[in-house]
Amino acid sequence: MARRYREIGKAGWGYTLITSIVGLIYFSPVLWIILTAFKTRTDALAVPPKLFFTPTLENFTSVFYRSSITTGTSQSTDMALYFFNSIFIAGTSVGLALIVGTLAAYAFSRYPLRGNDTYLFIILTTRMMPPIVVIIPIFLMFRLSGLAGSYWGIILLYTAFNIPFSVWLVKSFFDELNPEIEDAARMDGASESRVFFKFCIPQILAGLSATFVFGLILTWNEFLFALLLTGVETRTVPVAMARTLGGEVGVDYGLLAAIVTLFLLPIFFVTFLLQNQLLRGVTFGTVKK
Amino acid sequence: MRSLIGGLMGATTLAAGLSGAPVAAQDITITMAAPDWPPTRFMKEYFDQTYKSPNGGNTVLEMDFIPWPSFYERVAASLTSGEQKYQMIVTDSQWLGAFVEGGYYMNLTDKINADPELKTIMQDLHPALVSAYSTYPHRTRAQLEEAGEVPAPGVNYYGFPQFPDTYVTYYREDIFCHDGEMADFEAKYGTNLPCTYEDWQDTDWAKWGQIGEFFQRKKGEMLAGETLDDDFYGIAYQAGKGYDFSTMQVNAFVWQNGGDIWDESKAPEAQAEGVVNSDVAVEAFDEYLSYLQYMPPVAQTGQMDIFVIQDLYMQGKVGAIIDWVGLGEPVLDPSASKVHDKSAFGPAPGTRQADGSIDRTGNIGGQPFVLTTWNSDEVVDEALNVVKWWLSPETQLEAVKNGGQSGRMSVMADPVYNDLRPWNRAHVEMIDWQKDVWHIPEFFEMLTQQQEEFDKAITGQITAKEALDAVAEFQQELLEDGGYID
Amino acid sequence: MANENSRTGGFGAWLLDPKRRGALLVTPAITILFVMNIFPLLWSFGLSFFNYRASSLKVPTFRGLSNYERVLTDDKVWERFQTTAIIVGSSVILQLIVGFLLALMFAKAFPMRRIVLMLVLTPMMLSFVSVGVFFKLFYEPTFGVVSYLLSNFSDDRFVVLGTPAGAIAGIVIADAWMWSPFVMLLVLAGLVSVPKYLYEAAEIDRASSWRRFWTITFPYIKSLLLLAVLFRTIETFKLFDIVYIITEGGPGSSTETIAVYLYRTAFQFFRTSQSSALAYIVLFIVVVLTNLYLYAVNRRAEEVD
Repeated sequence: MARRYREIGKAGWGYTLITSIVGLIYFSPVLWIILTAFKTRTDALAVPPKLFFTPTLENFTSVFYRSSITTGTSQSTDMALYFFNSIFIAGTSVGLALIVGTLAAYAFSRYPLRGNDTYLFIILTTRMMPPIVVIIPIFLMFRLSGLAGSYWGIILLYTAFNIPFSVWLVKSFFDELNPEIEDAARMDGASESRVFFKFCIPQILAGLSATFVFGLILTWNEFLFALLLTGVETRTVPVAMARTLGGEVGVDYGLLAAIVTLFLLPIFFVTFLLQNQLLRGVTFGTVKK
Repeated sequence: MRSLIGGLMGATTLAAGLSGAPVAAQDITITMAAPDWPPTRFMKEYFDQTYKSPNGGNTVLEMDFIPWPSFYERVAASLTSGEQKYQMIVTDSQWLGAFVEGGYYMNLTDKINADPELKTIMQDLHPALVSAYSTYPHRTRAQLEEAGEVPAPGVNYYGFPQFPDTYVTYYREDIFCHDGEMADFEAKYGTNLPCTYEDWQDTDWAKWGQIGEFFQRKKGEMLAGETLDDDFYGIAYQAGKGYDFSTMQVNAFVWQNGGDIWDESKAPEAQAEGVVNSDVAVEAFDEYLSYLQYMPPVAQTGQMDIFVIQDLYMQGKVGAIIDWVGLGEPVLDPSASKVHDKSAFGPAPGTRQADGSIDRTGNIGGQPFVLTTWNSDEVVDEALNVVKWWLSPETQLEAVKNGGQSGRMSVMADPVYNDLRPWNRAHVEMIDWQKDVWHIPEFFEMLTQQQEEFDKAITGQITAKEALDAVAEFQQELLEDGGYID
Repeated sequence: MANENSRTGGFGAWLLDPKRRGALLVTPAITILFVMNIFPLLWSFGLSFFNYRASSLKVPTFRGLSNYERVLTDDKVWERFQTTAIIVGSSVILQLIVGFLLALMFAKAFPMRRIVLMLVLTPMMLSFVSVGVFFKLFYEPTFGVVSYLLSNFSDDRFVVLGTPAGAIAGIVIADAWMWSPFVMLLVLAGLVSVPKYLYEAAEIDRASSWRRFWTITFPYIKSLLLLAVLFRTIETFKLFDIVYIITEGGPGSSTETIAVYLYRTAFQFFRTSQSSALAYIVLFIVVVLTNLYLYAVNRRAEEVD
């Protein structure tokens, strides 16, 4: 049940050329950032802007190493750990939200509760709150529960952020399935869990991966809560990135660009692989077959 | 797993701190919130290399390095939520009131009184720094000096200098000492272009303006014998909306002209209305605004903060800037700065007084560090040992060698001190002129409103008078509500 | 749970009864949401009726609705709401236009489409912080590329952020650049859901392309466009980092959005209770918008079915 979308007409390589030009113009700020990653500070701030320059890999080295002030020897910046943290925390929480959300979505779709829509609406409301308001209570709660600075704390928090979205999206996929097939399977004596795992899930795999990618995009760059609720060991890349924004100099453009570039790679490839599904994800599943 | 172990250790320290149970003198962990930059990195590195606890135990200084731009949020959230994570905190002097009133920063007056070594250190710290970094409720330098003893009776002490900072003039020796430019300047204004340190000692704001006018050149014109490939500007100082990036400079103009900000050390008599927007203050603010026309175009956006002027200077777009000593190091770095071998430093300009002398009163920068209130006696004692280690002359001198600064007068008087960094002489001269902005808990609200009004004036939306009237009105009401004004 | 199950078979059976299956499946999601989200929300809701300041040791006292009254009668707050409305409105409109045009472009199949599409999708994956920092650099009159390109036409450097209108435009362009791809995806989904036979029929009728668009394509993307408006409105309402980095709310207060003001009230002024009250007013507005949004979703569903 591949949901391949249909195109309005087909075009040839000439069209590719035109769209590539538009695409590249649109992409140019990103390209600028990527080029900056290979520039010295002086080149990055050069007037007129330098398109041709001697590339340096120093920014990429500085992402992972800094030199000691007293001895000049090179020390780790722990950035490798922060990359691991970001991937681990975002991956786990989005995955967890997907699992928990799928269960809930299945229930909302197949076993409507009394006041089903109200529950669904309340779930969505939590996504709409300006995050700043809940910071103090969450901070307090994290301290009392000992979750502050731990992986589980931030993972659970991100999971909570992703649940509303996951529930809504996945529910719409379940809604679209043909219940007759499921009923037929039940008639044949299949257990409920078998119906769920063998009939429903395989049919919405594409949708689930779209949900995953979309959750990832929304979680990947989260800054505020990561800043406040992660410790030295569990810090994520967006927080670590902030050290390039000011200190002894203003923004360290080259270093920031290098981190941004490296940090873009994982999510870029995941998105690329699941691109067709993403198309479906953003519409909250309202597009019918 | 690393985090789990770290978390457990943190929890143990915390629990011990809370219950007041005896902690084995052998292993004390002090967690310190610190902005992530070289002066604090140095403190950590040098601690690991040299610190020996006098109690014979093993003391770990755990530094939580937080990116500068988010430092305040992180500390504020940690403190106000009651997380009790930190035993020591690097803090801006302005935050003292908010976090002392909140019960987070520890009053060290009794500790200082009880400890002759600490007392000696406090006596040797520059009184301008003690006033700004340590006292709450705020006491001015004059008030402290009047008391005649350190610690002064009836004054509460909280912080010690981590990085004392002042602003000085950074300037391009290659153009300010260029024969042709010097002759032209002399011919045009009948006064010399400041080239040496001594010249800058005699530079007032009027000349600062002349420098600005003189060096404003278009692309293609000549500068010091070379054709410019981009527009060039003579001068720049901070005029940014963020944080305190205009107040720090505007205050200097106000004070130097005999005006004042709301003086918290004279509460509850001190007023905002009529003081903040006095004619003198308005004139002073107008003078500050009048030089903006000679500064790079970013001045028109109200975004010309301390980092922007540093970048403009480092990339060779401006001849002289007034900026913090703490931002000096990158200027000397060939990989970041085009003017690394052409820069010299002098005192910031000031206002010429009737007797011909120059008043350079400025707003102090830099950060003290403080102890927190929830620690056991053992932890407090060890934290104070760390304070003594940090403020010992040996450590302080080493800090200065590595790009830090010292608040100890004996270290600044050391003959080697002036040659350690090129701005040290100017820093010592400037530190004598320092005063500070408010320290009460409402400071941020006052600062934000003031920065907003200043920004409107800087971007030409309102006049200096309108801006200061609005500031005075707001402060008067806020301070009356808060019970600071009768 | 399994342990409990074996000990008290009765309870296990009761729990797994098909009648309770729905509730059981929803439980994990609701539990996490309640602990991590709803509980803190209720906490701040409670705070909004006191005069609590996180920076003060004073015991908070109950103040009823006075925080709400204070916020709603504050001229500053209304000014911030207006600024927010202007920024949200113009940003969303720009996102719609750009997103729509991009979608039309990508609706056709062409060689290497997957790769070209990625070029357009990437801005969404950047952090707000890096978008803010680099757009601020682009706008900087001395170092920035925008001013450099325009300097060929004028003698003076072009200063983007020097006027309120310029600053708003600067923020709107950065935000719209980042999120137009999102709108594009929505519209593209609408475009590709138009049944092919409708086009084939139109082809036979020799309908003009303009007419074809209005009668066939537009009905399919109409509600999706509305959906895009609402979803982006809700998200742009929370816009903070880009504003805070590019203009800090300046010049003056001309770009101080409600999110920036909320941040200042909570974290800089430590008016904790007052900020909670303001946040709930914001939430109220967002909930109204959400309802409109859901209405649009439902209508869309009805139309297609």
